[in-house]
Amino acid sequence: MQIYIIILLLIYVVMAASSLSYIQYRDYQILGVTLSRQHAVHPEVKKIVNTFKKACYLVLLFSTVCSFLLLIPFIRPYADFTMFFMMALNLFANWFVINLCQKSLMNIKEQNKWIYPKKSIATVDLNVSRAKGKSAISPVWVWLFFILSFIPMVFLLINSDMRIFYPLIFSFIGPFCQVSLVFLYYQMVNQPSRILDDKTVTNLLFAQQHERINSITATLSSLSMLLFWILFSFSMLYMENSIMVIAPVVFLITAVLIIEHWHQKKMRKLEENITGSLSDGEEDVQERESTWKCGCYYNPDDHRIFVPKRAGSMGWTINIGRPVGKALYLGTIVLVLVVIIFAVYGGIKDYEIEIDDQEIIVDAAMYDISFKKEDIDSISLTEQLPNGIRTNGYGGANKSFGHFMLDEYGNCMLYIYSNVNQYIVVQLKGNDPGYVILNCKTEGETEELYKIFNSWISE
Amino acid sequence: MILKIDMSGHIPIYQQIRNQIVYGVATGRLETGEQLPTVRQLAADIGVNPMTVSKAYTLLKDEGVIVIDRRHGAKINALPVFNDSLIADFDEKAELLISEALMKGVPEEKLKEHLLILIEKIYGKGELS
Repeated sequence: MQIYIIILLLIYVVMAASSLSYIQYRDYQILGVTLSRQHAVHPEVKKIVNTFKKACYLVLLFSTVCSFLLLIPFIRPYADFTMFFMMALNLFANWFVINLCQKSLMNIKEQNKWIYPKKSIATVDLNVSRAKGKSAISPVWVWLFFILSFIPMVFLLINSDMRIFYPLIFSFIGPFCQVSLVFLYYQMVNQPSRILDDKTVTNLLFAQQHERINSITATLSSLSMLLFWILFSFSMLYMENSIMVIAPVVFLITAVLIIEHWHQKKMRKLEENITGSLSDGEEDVQERESTWKCGCYYNPDDHRIFVPKRAGSMGWTINIGRPVGKALYLGTIVLVLVVIIFAVYGGIKDYEIEIDDQEIIVDAAMYDISFKKEDIDSISLTEQLPNGIRTNGYGGANKSFGHFMLDEYGNCMLYIYSNVNQYIVVQLKGNDPGYVILNCKTEGETEELYKIFNSWISE
Repeated sequence: MILKIDMSGHIPIYQQIRNQIVYGVATGRLETGEQLPTVRQLAADIGVNPMTVSKAYTLLKDEGVIVIDRRHGAKINALPVFNDSLIADFDEKAELLISEALMKGVPEEKLKEHLLILIEKIYGKGELS
């Protein structure tokens, strides 16, 4: 249960950090609302920003306290469902606070009649465009980190006995994540730079430093991912206590938050230094609220599918004004819903064991199995299961079912309730799976089922 | 040189790119031999499809404003030597513009005065309003 609470706390901290990043004044925006430099420091705006900060901390505190509800015995059986509910609640609370403060800022704009032109003008300095890619730090680093991410795979290829604890297929996850960071590097380097002035010298200086900061950020993110991957693989192979696997995750989240904070600070300083020296920097303030719908970028005239987020510094969002963007957006929602529905359904649905004349059928969400009398080698009852890993299945707070790899048994199909220390081990004649291990909601019921199995076998 | 592209305007984006580069060359903001950004880079910076920029570059190449080199990309071409064939095309466009001015009730003297100011702006390498 502690691992569930740690996961929840990590999610809350990340949510709070990203919400708080919305108050940084960048690109004429605070909380996604367009404001000129002069208006951004207005006392009323500052008051809302302070209220927003307090609300974010309050949401974090409230969510943290709520996460300890998982320790209550009454709630423990519904831990999976409760965890999703708490995550959704935290997400909603953060969204609500952002939305409320955005509306307050819009009201202030309306009351004070702060109107900016809505014309959508794209400004490009040809000299800046031409110099793109020349100030970034070399992409050799991100490619090197990508190559190094194959270390766990090479290790597993050499030490085949280790594949019992760490299937080879898992070792592809690291290079996959690392290649997405190579993509991030190129996206960040090619990000269009803002044109601040009519003077090319100023624009070029800003663009060069902007590119340098972006490329350093992407390279550091890539390095953090590599270190995470090596640490994670090491903990999977050598750490006895599975809770230690959380340590590399904590490292990665901390590293990403620090890098994000550094990036924002650097960009803000750069903007302040350069725009501060300009006599009239308000000229290019353009109203952009119309291009954002429900927190997503909506601009059918913009041909890009992925666009940088309007607040915060790293990351991209989808342009839902384009057909491909719409499809990706809906696809992501459907995918998330399917995962949640499956997790909740798997957590709620009990195993149904049906015995007929010839075979036993175990019905569990998506991982059903049936085996005939002649497939069975032996049936035994045990009180302890060896350590192992899930290869393809469901591992919740109270139940584990699907394909698992256990130390002494090898390939197994598990249908177990975690809080019951009594297991029926059905040894099958084949190897895939070699064992079917199951139990019932109580030890008494498990023993009863074991007797039924034995009498069925002897019939 | 700075391009300002109106994304919601009625003039097609490729036409705006072409027009502004022509103005840039005429007013000396873009010099002979100066390189233009790659199609992909300019498209990414404006936020449009590379085909849009490619269309503008092809138009400029056909008009002789730029030359496209396989290795060095797009470069501003040397200004052509005057010949009578340029006049025929110019006359067609100018006659239409003058007719439109007449339809809108602009007096002849006022139009002449205005045209002289514009000629001075371009040939005198001044700023365009």
